[in-house]
Order: sequence, then C-alpha cells, then structure tokens
Amino acid sequence: MTETTTNGDWIAKRKRYRRLMFGLLLAGVVGFVAATNLDRPIVGVALYWLGIAGYVAVWKGTSVTLFDERDCALERRSSVATLTLSAAALITFAPAEVVLSEMKIYTAPPVFEGVLYTVSAQGLLFGVFYLWLRIKQ
Amino acid sequence: MKNNLRERRETMGLSQADLAEAVGVTRQTINSIERGRYDPSLELAFKLAGYFDCLIEDMFTPAED
Repeated sequence: MTETTTNGDWIAKRKRYRRLMFGLLLAGVVGFVAATNLDRPIVGVALYWLGIAGYVAVWKGTSVTLFDERDCALERRSSVATLTLSAAALITFAPAEVVLSEMKIYTAPPVFEGVLYTVSAQGLLFGVFYLWLRIKQ
Repeated sequence: MKNNLRERRETMGLSQADLAEAVGVTRQTINSIERGRYDPSLELAFKLAGYFDCLIEDMFTPAED
C-alpha cells in the first residue's frame, strides 16, 4: 500500500528511516563490541543480531523508497574502486612478500598472509558472480 | 550528458523535492542530474520525459567532447 503524504513528510520519512536503519546497525555493532569487552559475548551476539534484524525490519517494512538508482550507482562505483584497490594491493604485495621472505630481509606476520588469502578469495568470488551474471544476460 | 531539467522544473514552479517524489527518486538524485553529475537510467529518463510531456531527446543531449 502506498502512503499518501505531503512532500515534506515523504522526504523527512526517507531521512528518518535511513537514519533509523543505520543507527540500529551501528547500535548492534557497538553493543556487540561493548558486551564482548565486558565478558558477555552471548549478550553481544544477541545485540548484534537485534541490530541486523532492526535494519532489515525497517528496510523491508516501510513503503517509503529508501534507496534509488543513484544509490545503486554509487554502490557499484564504490565496489569497483574497492576491488581495484584490493587487486592492486594484492598484485604488489603478494610477490613482494615472497621475495623479501626468500631473501630473509623481512618476514611478514601470519596475519598478512590471511589478508592476502581473504583478498584473493574476494577477487575469486567477484569473478564467479561476474561470469554468472554474464551468462544470465 | 547535458539536460534542461532545471529550466523545465522551474518553469512549472516545482521544487527538486516535488519532482523527486513525482518520479520516485531522492531529491539528491534530481540535484545530481540537473548539475550534470549523474546520468539517469533509461527508465528514469522516460519517467522524467513523461512527467514533462516531452521526448527524452528534448530534455537530454549528449555532451560534446
């Protein structure tokens, strides 16, 4: 059902709902970190999921259009920029780490290897989705 | 892409928010289109042309390189 509102109401509602969505998400994450630091990890996870559930509830529960095509375009451009930067970092640092380690100049901490694997997996996932979408279109 | 959206909107005495609501996008999207920073989708271009009762090419013209 489409709500009948004045223009001001419509704009205000969009802003209010978007703030509410991101506020709930942030509260969930902050709650998770705070509760975990207070040795209450289960409470933290519960708060986290409450935040996520609140975000989805507002997003799906309102008839107000919260995101439009420009938001999608911005997300797409941001995703491409992130992937490009990640790929450039991977291409540069992965071989550098091998060479420096082999020459016993510098050994990167294990977490660095984990980051490289994560970025590689992300790139692989992107490739899979890209191929799938290409086949679909 | 160049456009005369602002002129058409102002001629009709509409605010960006009015037009945004009429075509189902945010006011920021209308603002970005008017400033030439965002090229709308074909669907939105048709909606805008329909709203102003004109052809898409009457409203949008390719930018000269």
